[in-house]
Amino acid sequence: MSYLELAGLQKRYGGSVAVDDVSLSVEKGESVALLGPSGCGKTTTLRMLAGLIQPDRGTIRVDDVEITRLAAHKRNMGYVFQSYALFPHLTVSRNVAFGLEERGIGKAEIARQVEEGLALVRLDGLGGRRPRELSGGQQQRVALARALVIHPSVLLLDESLSNLDAKLRDTMRHEIRSIQRSLGITTLFVTHDQVEALTMCDRIAVMNRGRIAQIGTAEDIYERPATRFVAEFVGRANALPATRDTEGKVVLWGAAHPVAAPPQGAFDLFVRPQRMRIVSASEPTGGETVRVTGRVLRSVFVGDHVEVLVEGAGGQLAVEMPSGTTAPTEGAEVAVIWQAKDSLPFACEAA
Amino acid sequence: MTGSRRLPLLLLPAGIFVLAVYVWPTLLLLRNAFNEVGPTGAMVEAWSLKTATETFADGFTIELTLNSLQLSLSATAIALALSYPLSLFLFRTDSRFRGLLAVIAILPMLISGVVRVFGWLAILGDRGLVNTLLQSLGLISAPIKLVFNWTGVTIGLAESIMPYMILALLAGFGQLDRTLEEASRSLGASPLRTFWRVTLPLSLPAIVLAAGLGFVLSMSAYITPKLLGGGRVFVLATEIFEQATTNTNWPVAAVLAIYTLGLLLLLLVVSNLLARGLKR
Repeated sequence: MSYLELAGLQKRYGGSVAVDDVSLSVEKGESVALLGPSGCGKTTTLRMLAGLIQPDRGTIRVDDVEITRLAAHKRNMGYVFQSYALFPHLTVSRNVAFGLEERGIGKAEIARQVEEGLALVRLDGLGGRRPRELSGGQQQRVALARALVIHPSVLLLDESLSNLDAKLRDTMRHEIRSIQRSLGITTLFVTHDQVEALTMCDRIAVMNRGRIAQIGTAEDIYERPATRFVAEFVGRANALPATRDTEGKVVLWGAAHPVAAPPQGAFDLFVRPQRMRIVSASEPTGGETVRVTGRVLRSVFVGDHVEVLVEGAGGQLAVEMPSGTTAPTEGAEVAVIWQAKDSLPFACEAA
Repeated sequence: MTGSRRLPLLLLPAGIFVLAVYVWPTLLLLRNAFNEVGPTGAMVEAWSLKTATETFADGFTIELTLNSLQLSLSATAIALALSYPLSLFLFRTDSRFRGLLAVIAILPMLISGVVRVFGWLAILGDRGLVNTLLQSLGLISAPIKLVFNWTGVTIGLAESIMPYMILALLAGFGQLDRTLEEASRSLGASPLRTFWRVTLPLSLPAIVLAAGLGFVLSMSAYITPKLLGGGRVFVLATEIFEQATTNTNWPVAAVLAIYTLGLLLLLLVVSNLLARGLKR
């Protein structure tokens, strides 16, 4: 049995199901992201873990003890809120000390641990300030320190970086990850930002409509998406409408390709734009390669890559070329090629 | 920039109105306070402090002040004890009846003070609801005196200021964020501890504001102490009215009115400073 076990969790609000049968096992010291669009039930799941809302069905076990109905204040979960939820009437030190004070720890020991906690998030010397005198990033660190000093059994982070600007978010990502690793603290991280999920977590649970669509490592999720939703939500992908020929091969933009088509139903072929390459229309290809031809609509320089839009017989597709390479001129006739194994057929969703 | 420079224009209509119906009469009142009363009881134009010194030398003025302060204090305390939990509930509830409940809570504001007092007489009188009930239950043999005394005035005042205090509390609860209470609970504080350490401190500015308002309204109330006091409860407001109408002693009424106004202004300033200090 794993350290943290969620089994068949369900939460309804009126007629709608916010969380529907979520089961998840997390090992001690592991960091797992709950990734999904807003309204997918990820925050609801986290709040059930913290005891802030009661599940209608299912169980939560930590270290083999069931805590499903335990009151929030008896759970020892470190919760970092999206808005940080720092107490405005208390100094930074008192904010960090809050949980320790509730545990009846001696004054000197609290002072020592607060000091330690603030040092951990590199806020030494700011203990006397009020939360509103701090920048967003500093407030975020205080919230993290406050949740960490109580030595929580699980650290819960709710979209904790979404209120920071892009650069700071990047720094905090690495900082939280290294703190999480060095303390070996079991962490559940709710986010709608896939970069956050990919960089901060050992495993990712992609959630959609109250259910977990796929659990796996970042590589699993990205390279081998289990469902169309996962393929669309994580990373970018071209969804190319395709058909099948009599031999069961994929037919795309008027030609058959060495990719097996699903046995029935309408489907799209999913291909990551950075797995595609642009070659001159005359260059021959062979083997397990998909090749389509078209005309370059436009090339857009996006900084770390160049995005090339190609139009062909069956529609448009986007190719990401590494910047530094020469992008084809607009209007040029080109061929787009990719490895057959990089094509993933997914059935079209019933409208 | 032109917009903000023209902004004071918006204050013009209200400014003129206040000038005409408040500032000017108050200045007249101030003028009257320096007049004297002749031996015949008629007002004598003068610029003297004789009326003022005589009024403040009179022990009755001190008694009136203490009565007013004591009544207002107990009415405010009772009203606060009742409206704080109610306002907290209204602020927090997700009920779809929230709007309706809020309207019900402040409904007494929409009823004439006189009508409200007669309602209380029907409830608290010797043959009123409370006494009839207690007697039929055999808990008391003779009716308890609940009106035409301090008890009645205190109850009436508390009820009349509650709607205003509820509105002030609801407006002042702005800083109260439910996430903060959740944070407190996630850190190990029980609901009671959370209330004590988070909810109460964060709602203190609202409490001070509401209490200040309730107190000032109680101090200046006339109808309730007059009617529910039954002529046995004397406060500054009733005395001002007596002096101005029954005794037609305008200078004394003016001195008392200015004195009360000063007291109220002082209270408002103090409660505002306190609320601002707490919000810091």
